[in-house]
Amino acid sequence: MQSQFEQLVREAEAAVSAARDAAALEAVRVDVLGRKGRLAELMRHMAALPEDQRRAAGRAANEAKQRLDAAFARAERETAERDRAAREEREWVDVTEPGAWPAEGHLHPVSTAIAEISDLFARIGFVRARAPEIDGDWYAFESLNMPKDHPARDDWETFFIGETPGQRAHGTKGKLVLTPHTSNVQVRELEKGVLPVRLVHIGRTYRRQSDISHTPMFHQFEGLMVDRDLSVAHLKGVLEFFAKRYFGAERGIRLRPHHFRFTEPSFEIDITCDVCQGGSLGPCRLCKSGWLELGGAGMVHPNVLKAAGLDPETHTGFAFGWGVERTLMMRAGIKIDDIRTLYRSDLRFVSQF
Amino acid sequence: MNILASYNWLASSHAHDLTLEEFAKRHTAAGNSVERVRDLAAELKHVVVGFVEAVEKHPNADKLRVARVNIGTAVVQIVCGGANLKAKQRVAVALPGASVRWHGEGEPVELRETEIRGMKSHGMICAAVELGFDLLPQGPHDIWDITKVTKAEPGTPLADALGVADFILDIEVTSNRPDCMGVVGQAREAFAAMGGKFRWKPKPLKEEPGAPALKVRVDAPELCPKYEAVLMEGVKVGPSPWWLQKRLMLAGHKPVNNVVDVTNYVLLELGHPLHAFDADALAGGEVVVRRAKAGEKMKTLDGQERELTPDMLVIADTERPAAVAGVMGGEATGTTERTTRVLLESAAFEPVQVRRTARALNLQTDASLLFEKGLSVQATSAALARAVELIRKVAGGRVASAPFRFEAKPYQAPVFPFDPQKSSALMGVELPAKEQAAFLKRLGFTLAKNGKAYDVTVPYWRDHDIEDGRDFVEEIARLYGYANIPSVLPVGEESPAAPIPALHWERCAKDILRGMGFTEIYGLSFVSAKELERAGVAPETAVRIANPLSVEQEYMRPALVPGLLGVVEANQRRFPHADLFELAPVYRPGGEQLPDERLRLTLACVGTDGRSGFLRAKGALERLMRELGVRPWRLERLASGTDDARWHRTRSAAVWAGEHDHVGMVGQVGEEMARAFGLEQPVFLVDLDFEALVPRCSSALSYRPLPAFPESKRDLAVLVDAKTSYGPVAHALRDASGLLEDVELFDVYQGAGVPEGKKSLAMHLTFRTHDRTLSSEEVEAELAKLRKMLETGFGAILRA
Repeated sequence: MQSQFEQLVREAEAAVSAARDAAALEAVRVDVLGRKGRLAELMRHMAALPEDQRRAAGRAANEAKQRLDAAFARAERETAERDRAAREEREWVDVTEPGAWPAEGHLHPVSTAIAEISDLFARIGFVRARAPEIDGDWYAFESLNMPKDHPARDDWETFFIGETPGQRAHGTKGKLVLTPHTSNVQVRELEKGVLPVRLVHIGRTYRRQSDISHTPMFHQFEGLMVDRDLSVAHLKGVLEFFAKRYFGAERGIRLRPHHFRFTEPSFEIDITCDVCQGGSLGPCRLCKSGWLELGGAGMVHPNVLKAAGLDPETHTGFAFGWGVERTLMMRAGIKIDDIRTLYRSDLRFVSQF
Repeated sequence: MNILASYNWLASSHAHDLTLEEFAKRHTAAGNSVERVRDLAAELKHVVVGFVEAVEKHPNADKLRVARVNIGTAVVQIVCGGANLKAKQRVAVALPGASVRWHGEGEPVELRETEIRGMKSHGMICAAVELGFDLLPQGPHDIWDITKVTKAEPGTPLADALGVADFILDIEVTSNRPDCMGVVGQAREAFAAMGGKFRWKPKPLKEEPGAPALKVRVDAPELCPKYEAVLMEGVKVGPSPWWLQKRLMLAGHKPVNNVVDVTNYVLLELGHPLHAFDADALAGGEVVVRRAKAGEKMKTLDGQERELTPDMLVIADTERPAAVAGVMGGEATGTTERTTRVLLESAAFEPVQVRRTARALNLQTDASLLFEKGLSVQATSAALARAVELIRKVAGGRVASAPFRFEAKPYQAPVFPFDPQKSSALMGVELPAKEQAAFLKRLGFTLAKNGKAYDVTVPYWRDHDIEDGRDFVEEIARLYGYANIPSVLPVGEESPAAPIPALHWERCAKDILRGMGFTEIYGLSFVSAKELERAGVAPETAVRIANPLSVEQEYMRPALVPGLLGVVEANQRRFPHADLFELAPVYRPGGEQLPDERLRLTLACVGTDGRSGFLRAKGALERLMRELGVRPWRLERLASGTDDARWHRTRSAAVWAGEHDHVGMVGQVGEEMARAFGLEQPVFLVDLDFEALVPRCSSALSYRPLPAFPESKRDLAVLVDAKTSYGPVAHALRDASGLLEDVELFDVYQGAGVPEGKKSLAMHLTFRTHDRTLSSEEVEAELAKLRKMLETGFGAILRA
């Protein structure tokens, strides 16, 4: 009997390897393993064997069954693989064709910069405030320790509003101007009397200049913190936090004494130039000996606190005001070298962002 | 302002043993920002003194000659076009490897040995302008003849021979510190910042006993708080010696003549402008400091005729103005080669008047820029004495009058209290009182103890910028060094201020629109009258700028549409299909109040016409409203009588939020406006008062349980009149059936198979009820009811 099983397995294996496709294989399977197949046929004969031979025949039958199962499983795998290969060959696509894009929108880089700046200051508790772009010169100048004859208040520096039937050019807070800085937010917020103040104001500002590094309208962001016991050390902490996060920890920062009317002491914040790597790559067109000026800052001048009705003996504060465009342009890699590019509304420009 | 300060010159007033690099770093840290350093020895590398032994004609060129030049190591042949080239001259020879600027233009170029028209040339005989001395007066085709300037041997490096082996520091000076516009002021700062020895001392004027008094009258003391003058005679006007010319040129001043050069030298040294008059040109021999008369005219040194007004201060003789005070002298009274009697003026003028005068005359000078910053009345004497000393040295002559001296009021040095403890607290670093006091003393302040605090007297050169005791903190902090102050993130209470909704939703809306494929436009806030008119807005209704930069930017924009259509027009050839938006403030007159500034949002969908164009814009609006959580809102077709040329009347609708707020428009740009803006593509706009929308925006979410029973779907197609609106149809369907959960329009068709004047509406209807599964009979019955309703209510004809 064993030899018969052996022969069946050999013949079946030969038939399996001869089967070219799934249908042929199935025919072989029915012929060998089916209910009326050759294996079943042999096993029916086993019943007639004597007891001692039957046991040996049973072992042979089991072994044969296992080998046949394995042969068919292998063949099925191979057939499936062949089918898949053939199908996929038919379904070939060119992966080098350009992708079909979902609709692509673009935010203007100034919008993105404003969002990033807001987020960074939000992390250290600076809440965004809002102030008018057209404001009385009390808020724009006078209360900021910039007296009447200050050059910034001359009409070749600052835009003034003209009188029209619908609009008085002079309000209760003085002549109306297009604010040349976001600092009008300072006294406006402080005089609300809700302390401590920890705000950032980002807005449009206006100056009568137009050249490669100036547009008559630009954006500034203004930080203001007023509380008890604030010092230069705190201002330094906040500025370094921002500069390192926005520009990257590898850029160097320094505070350089400077002069502004509404802060005392005042300084400029410089950051190492990424084009010449802080001067290490030799003379650079963009920067000054390896440093780029970021913007101004300082401790709020006592006269500003007084103008807002606060006592400079009990409260101190610091403020800083920087150009958004300038800050954006100084970021490594962005390579915008003419600020006016930002406002030409050429879609070829905006579409890059 | 910036000063170009010679490092050697600085060293004559301030001795130290620092390297240049360290000096620049510490000077900057103390607030005198060294922005650039020019290294003259490096610039003049490979440029040497040459001695011209012989000059011959160039065989192949008329305008060129061939010189044999001794350069120390050899005698070489150099081809040269210099018109003034002569044998026995000492000249500046740029050898191969040197950098020169051809004819003083463009970038420096490195020289190589070359052949010019067949003749070898070993380097180049340079003009002054080619070596960076542009300011030296020279003929246009002349080479630099240095025979009289130096006796140096051939081959000597030029920088050494000319005494210009120096560094020029380009230092920023803040507007409150005109005292730092002089080399002495810089040296004083450097001494305070880094120690060493400060050597400068003012010298008194050497008076001539018995000299006659000058006739000077100050009629406008409010504009001239201080006036000093002295007369010199026997002065010989001519070119200055090289050492003087060199210092002027390196600081950016053009040498003129020895008298003018001395006044400029004193300006550079002490930061105080002076003026020299030809005393013989002053009518009546008298000086009057007065306001100009209305309509009075004078010709200034630059040859321009100037018309003066009574706001302006002039220095006049008995007949006419001789100088615009503190701005520029007059041509007729300036010093010339013929001048022998010089009246030297050293004064202080009221800063605002100087600034306004300079601005009104459009004439900013080194002098006016300094006077307008505010100069001390105490600075005049030292400057005058120094000028007299130098003129005697370089132009001869003697003091021929008693010095005239006018003071509007006696000088009183400002004194302010100073509390070192408060100063420490403000800096955020504990600094002993003694150390703080020492910093102030080094800057020239004098201190008197007053309890725990001090009374501090301000030195004259700081009497404008120090305004009260608070200002001392900065002086101490900058000398102590900001780098040494710790960096501390503030702790403390959270700000009680609430976030501003408009700012939050502004950002959300921008992100949403970007996600929808819209591109953001950022326009300037200005608009011209012309653009306003094109957009159908009367310019008188906009906020006007009194002093615009140009008529293109005369108004503050009351709407975003004009700007956005301008952008569409400018880009339409490259981007015929585009989705754009701008979200920005607009400005409307506010009467007695401030102008009204409101955020506005305008979308422009370019390049799709007709129903599809409208649906593209409306779809964007729907999606935006959904994402902003604005509910309810609706559109209303424009009333048939509407006469608004801006909008296409039958393809536009008003946007209403809630029940009563008209918040904007959606629709196609009207034909007339499209033409006015030169639009070549159909443009559909969504124009929203974003500020009005803000209170209706919401991120509130609520969950509806998922349905427990299945829905039944049926399709329904009907023919209605082509002008029947779908909205009311859907509305009526919902109203008519309590089982109808949803209606979805999936096809609108006109054309073959549909009668003229009709259209087919095909809808998916979804039926469901919350408590059981609807039977097929129930749904059919409901559908029949709805069909009936459409037949009677809308005259609909059912389609298969």
